[in-house]
Amino acid sequence: MQGLIDRAPAGFISFAADGTICDINATLLEMLGAGRESVVGRPFESLLTVASRIFYQTHLFPLLRLQSTAEELFITMRCGDAPDVAFLASFTSRDAGGATYYDGVLMRLRERRKWEDEIVRARRVAEEANRRNSALLSMMSHDLRTPIGSISGYTDILLMGIRGELTDPQRDDLQRMKKASEYVLSLIEDVLSFARLNAGEISAPDLRTLNADAVIAETESLIGPRMEQNGIAYERIDCTPSVTIVADPDRLQQILLNLLTNAVKFTPAGGRITIKCVSDGESTDIKVADTGRGIPADQLEKIFEPFVQVTGTAAAVSGRQKGFGLGLAISRGLARRMNGELTVESEVGVGSTFTLRLPASLGG
Amino acid sequence: MNQSVLTRNNVQVSGTGQQPMLFAHGFGCDQNMWRFMTPAFADDYKIVLFDYVGSGKSDLSAYDPRRYSSLDGYAQDVLDVIHALDLSDVIFVGHSVSSMIGVLASNREPSLFAQLIMIGPSPRYINDTSYVGGFERRDIEELLDTMDKNYIGWANFLAPAIMKNPERPELAAELSESFCSTDPVIARRFAEATFFADNRGDLQKVKVPSLVLQCSDDIIAPDSVGDYVTRETPGSTLHNLQATGHCPHMSHPDETIAAIKAYLAQAGTHQDVELAHQ
Repeated sequence: MQGLIDRAPAGFISFAADGTICDINATLLEMLGAGRESVVGRPFESLLTVASRIFYQTHLFPLLRLQSTAEELFITMRCGDAPDVAFLASFTSRDAGGATYYDGVLMRLRERRKWEDEIVRARRVAEEANRRNSALLSMMSHDLRTPIGSISGYTDILLMGIRGELTDPQRDDLQRMKKASEYVLSLIEDVLSFARLNAGEISAPDLRTLNADAVIAETESLIGPRMEQNGIAYERIDCTPSVTIVADPDRLQQILLNLLTNAVKFTPAGGRITIKCVSDGESTDIKVADTGRGIPADQLEKIFEPFVQVTGTAAAVSGRQKGFGLGLAISRGLARRMNGELTVESEVGVGSTFTLRLPASLGG
Repeated sequence: MNQSVLTRNNVQVSGTGQQPMLFAHGFGCDQNMWRFMTPAFADDYKIVLFDYVGSGKSDLSAYDPRRYSSLDGYAQDVLDVIHALDLSDVIFVGHSVSSMIGVLASNREPSLFAQLIMIGPSPRYINDTSYVGGFERRDIEELLDTMDKNYIGWANFLAPAIMKNPERPELAAELSESFCSTDPVIARRFAEATFFADNRGDLQKVKVPSLVLQCSDDIIAPDSVGDYVTRETPGSTLHNLQATGHCPHMSHPDETIAAIKAYLAQAGTHQDVELAHQ
């Protein structure tokens, strides 16, 4: 058995609680290009590269001391003048003769290391590209918001008649301009929110225990007139004042407004939108259901991806669909930032139900 | 008492004494690292343990990347905990990077602190002209690589959960039972905030008496750095430990406890003398 351990295609090493190496097998010595007498008695840490020594002190040693085991760790060891050697290592503690020892098995990484290097490199490139994209989106949105704000503001001045009396056709045109600039502003806000969320720059949510009913009522006041205008019936079910939800009030309203705006957008005249609250004391669901055209099953998850619009709907076919397709991506991102989730169920031709699930109480 | 801070930072209070000892963990681990030390102080002090946001069992949803992009955000955690418990006359015990976090916190509100006890402090890890921090920038970049590679291993371990919910870092909290660091993105940012920091200029502003506990053969905070911290920090005392490595509170708790107790006893005596002369 001793011969097997010595020649097995894996490194074995044993060191005392103070890090002094007590034993090492021939395979590991060969990998490190070292002789047994030059290794035994040295601190284990001294075999490691600088980066792995830091990792040993900040992670591996505390883990062994606190939990007695450490598994699947990537470490690199020095090999004289030759290139460093990478290992996947696992350690466990052993008590013998009143003392504690740590035994480790080390598998050398060659091809796998190349793949892992590539994964890390690719991830860094992707993160950097993502950061640049978000910065660009954010800068563009800021630069666009100012002139659009001016257009909207000067349109208001003209509509108020400050620059002189308006004819009815002039008033109509200005109102169209006003509506268009408000729409562009809302798109810019979406892009800004998405860019911040995507870059991880959105600040921590101000979580509070809220009365679901009150937040929903506030949102209704913003979207209610559009429902009436479009001939859509609306009902709120079981959202009693006793139903609580833990959320950041502004972000909760942003999500609800987005869900209701979508519902209005995709529900034809004569249709119905309902909001229902369901709480089991631990979590509260706010369900926004519509009787719109529904979403095909293969697109149920895609709609939460940024810049995605549901295809195959009448609106998409006719090119009437508006927006960048960011609303649901932002809403799901915000829900998750508040320890919640946003999901959807839908049937084509029947309608869709979006469920926002959030904790019902703090610490729950 | 601000309950949300206590939950956010997983604050644990014990001990039967009056004067608070606030123990702040270092990079890579959480408050569990103090378990070999705190029983020795529990009879005489109020023991306060906490996890920085993003570490241990803290509330990961409270993690704000901007706030924690530098050590100032972590110093605010320390002050938040002190205010939430309405503490004063605090003996702050910080390991490694927490030593500098303690310096920053005490510089902002010195009246809250009685003593700073710094275990393996370093105000700057990267060598600079005429300053030896112990590392070159490429060493720290290699450390970040090592951490990334380790998180690949952890990701494999957690693959089923992560594949289903890639945007939910809190799932990685499952690791908290098996590993000190939890969320890979947060751990990496903490590493960057720690190892790329330069707090040399903050040492001169310290108004609270302090103890520097310097280990032997500490790669992370070598002897020259301990000397530098002691020299540059007004009212600082250096104590060289026999303990090797960077975690004497875990590897040699008895020696570390004795050094802190001896220092506090002496500091208490000095304080008594000063008070008697007033």
